[in-house]
This record gives sequence, C-alpha cells and structure tokens, in this order.
Amino acid sequence: MTGDALWYEAAMVVGITNALNVVADGLGALMIPVKPGAGPAEVGVVYDDIRAFYGGSGEIPTPFGVAAQDPGYLGDLWAAVKRAFTDNQLSRRLKTSLAFAVSLTTRSAFGTAFHLTEMRRLGVGQGGIMEIVGVTQMFSSYTKIADTLQLEPDMGDIAPVDQTPAPGGSPRA
Amino acid sequence: MPTVRLRDGAEYPEPARRAFELSKQWFSYDFPQPAAMSRVMAWDPHFGGPHGRAMKRAMAPGEFSRGEKEMVAAAVSGVNACDY
Repeated sequence: MTGDALWYEAAMVVGITNALNVVADGLGALMIPVKPGAGPAEVGVVYDDIRAFYGGSGEIPTPFGVAAQDPGYLGDLWAAVKRAFTDNQLSRRLKTSLAFAVSLTTRSAFGTAFHLTEMRRLGVGQGGIMEIVGVTQMFSSYTKIADTLQLEPDMGDIAPVDQTPAPGGSPRA
Repeated sequence: MPTVRLRDGAEYPEPARRAFELSKQWFSYDFPQPAAMSRVMAWDPHFGGPHGRAMKRAMAPGEFSRGEKEMVAAAVSGVNACDY
C-alpha cells in the first residue's frame, strides 16, 4: 500500500463517511427526509443516481434525504460521496470496508449498519467481515493503550516518501 | 513523554527478546529498539501474548490483504485520534 494517492483516497473516504454519519445519527430522528417524488425534479435525478450506485431499489439513505431539503447541497454532497467511493486506485470494496471500520469505531449506528450491508452486497463474505471487525477491535485496543501511556510514535519515519507530483504539479528535483 | 519508563529491549527476559525478534520480522524493519508497543505488551506476557496473537490473526491475509488491513488499522487509529 505504497504511494500517497492511496492514502489521499482513504482519507477522503474516512472524512465523507464521518460527514454522512454525523447527520444520520444526529439528525435522522429530528429532521424529516425529503421523500422520493416529493422534491423538485433535480432531487429526483440525484435520488435515481444514488439508488443506482447502491444497487437499484433500496431506500434513499438518511443523510441524503436530509440534505435534499437543499437540492443544490444534495447534488454536491452526493457528487463528493460518489467520487470518494467509486473504484479508483483503491477498490470500492476496500473503501466500503474502511467506512465500516470507521463507523464501528465512532459508534455510528447508521454508518455501521449501512456499510455492513454494502460490504455484503459487494461480495465480502462473513470471514472478510470478521477480518475487518478484528482489525478494528484490536486497533481500538492498541490505540487506547498507547494513549494511556502517551507512547511516542516509533514508526512515523519508516514509510517511503512518495515523490509523485500532486495532480497538476511538477516532479520534484 | 510516556507515563512509564519503557525498558530497553535488553532489560527484558529471554522469551520477550525472542518475541521482539518476531516483531521485527513482522514489521520487516530493524528498529534501534523494539517498537514501544512491543515493549509494553512484553511487560505482561499473559496479556500481551494472547493480545498479540489475536492481532496477528486479525491482520493475516484472508479476504483482505495485509496491506489493506494496515490501511484499515491506520483509519481506525486516525479516528481514535491516536498519534502513536
């Protein structure tokens, strides 16, 4: 897993996953989502794309239904989510698994259930799910042990430096 | 600063030093001292032993590669706001 591009992609998945989770878990019971067919046409177009991305026929996930109260905001939010989770240098399967791990770690009821369902839909078996649960659980232990003892990183400098230019940038001398 | 004085690897008994060698192989990196977490876990082998085995089992290649799992571990550590 070398090269910065992989880590940029992972970071964007983690960020946008948290963004969806905070709205779904925090506001899902307090704000009424825009029902399919109830909003303006541009909401319907985005909803169709959301359904297609998540396998066709399911309900619109809560954070998008809430965001649809501002159709322009929904469009941009969805574009970012779709970009983050689309196969790129990291597979959608791994990105969804990252989102599941992050949701489980942050105790997001919405995100944990949503991404678990997505993992299964994308073909991750029970063994694979338990692998991600195991990694999440063990590193939720290591991190708290490290924090309690205020350990200082001893691995921060061992990763190779990626000199690949950023998009639009020039190679480093 | 750590809240405990981490012992040098040489201060640990022989079984722990053997575990440090295995840890070095696991990370494929020759640390000047065993990784801090390895030395913490070696403090109580009755905890660190099974904890380490569970970690290695969880991190072993399966449906996901070791590299993919390291990325998941990094993400979990990140959202736990753990600098280590």
